[in-house]
Amino acid sequence: MSEPAEKPPGTAWSGLTEQALFVLVAILVPVCLHAIFRAVPTEEKMGVVQRIFYFHVPSALAGFLGVGLCALFSALYLWRRDRRLDLLAHASAELGVMFLTIVLLTGPIWARPVWGVWWTGEARLTSTLVLWLLYAGYLILRQSTENPEQGARFCAVIGLVGALDVPIIYYSVEWWRGLHPKVLKVSGGQGLDAEMAKALTLCSTTFILLFLLLLLQRVRLGRLQDEVESLTLVANRRAPYTEPA
Amino acid sequence: MIDPNFSSVVPLLALLAQEPVTGFTAENVAARPEIVERGLRFLNLAYTAVWVVLAVYLLSLSLRLRRLAQQVRRLKERAGL
Repeated sequence: MSEPAEKPPGTAWSGLTEQALFVLVAILVPVCLHAIFRAVPTEEKMGVVQRIFYFHVPSALAGFLGVGLCALFSALYLWRRDRRLDLLAHASAELGVMFLTIVLLTGPIWARPVWGVWWTGEARLTSTLVLWLLYAGYLILRQSTENPEQGARFCAVIGLVGALDVPIIYYSVEWWRGLHPKVLKVSGGQGLDAEMAKALTLCSTTFILLFLLLLLQRVRLGRLQDEVESLTLVANRRAPYTEPA
Repeated sequence: MIDPNFSSVVPLLALLAQEPVTGFTAENVAARPEIVERGLRFLNLAYTAVWVVLAVYLLSLSLRLRRLAQQVRRLKERAGL
């Protein structure tokens, strides 16, 4: 086994991208907050509570991006068996779960004053919860497998199959005539006020950039985990570990 | 004593069958400031939830990164690299 290199290839490029993304996100978050709380008009029927939408929808987009990337990298991993692809799939799944957690928390907080209930068996809500459970299971399975390669293979299959829930979530409102609002024109809704649409685009862009920033950090974590494993082997070969007396 | 005509049950069922009162309509939002205040409470709760989830994840990520970086440094010292 070769000894670990000092720095993996592409580290400098990755560092620069991370810095650029960090600066962009740091600038865009206050701009988003200004847009949400100062610039955007209050929605006529729901009132101020509708402003939850500007973090709820972008979180859903970032969550779906995580799930989609996990499925893509899982498929590529099953084909190429490249550890880097597995690392990317794992990182995407973790971020997908984190953003979907935000969706599942903010959704009921919006629903309580608007629908009168925290949760209902509505199709979009249920299918989103199923997606969260699938990828939470993916993360638990990753932690609990004895054989990492076998675990990576099983998880790649879950990551690939689980993503089939995303189109179900998207079309559930039409297929089962759900209660969930169809706000965007692309999803069959009536569209948004121009200011609202601008704020939503801005917030969505910020969340996608935040997702990419966190993805780079999470991939770095995975690389460090691999480095620890290979260094442990090297260190044990050179100076075997002895239990303290 | 049980009412054979269930006369007391009927109004109760009617009450249960009513739509939940949401309060958020254009008219009563304008007329009742407590509705706006209630909306602000939920808005505050939602944004707190978003920031808490993000903060917890960032903290966990940075702690894991720091722990692994320390482990790498220790292992390199042990291996004489």
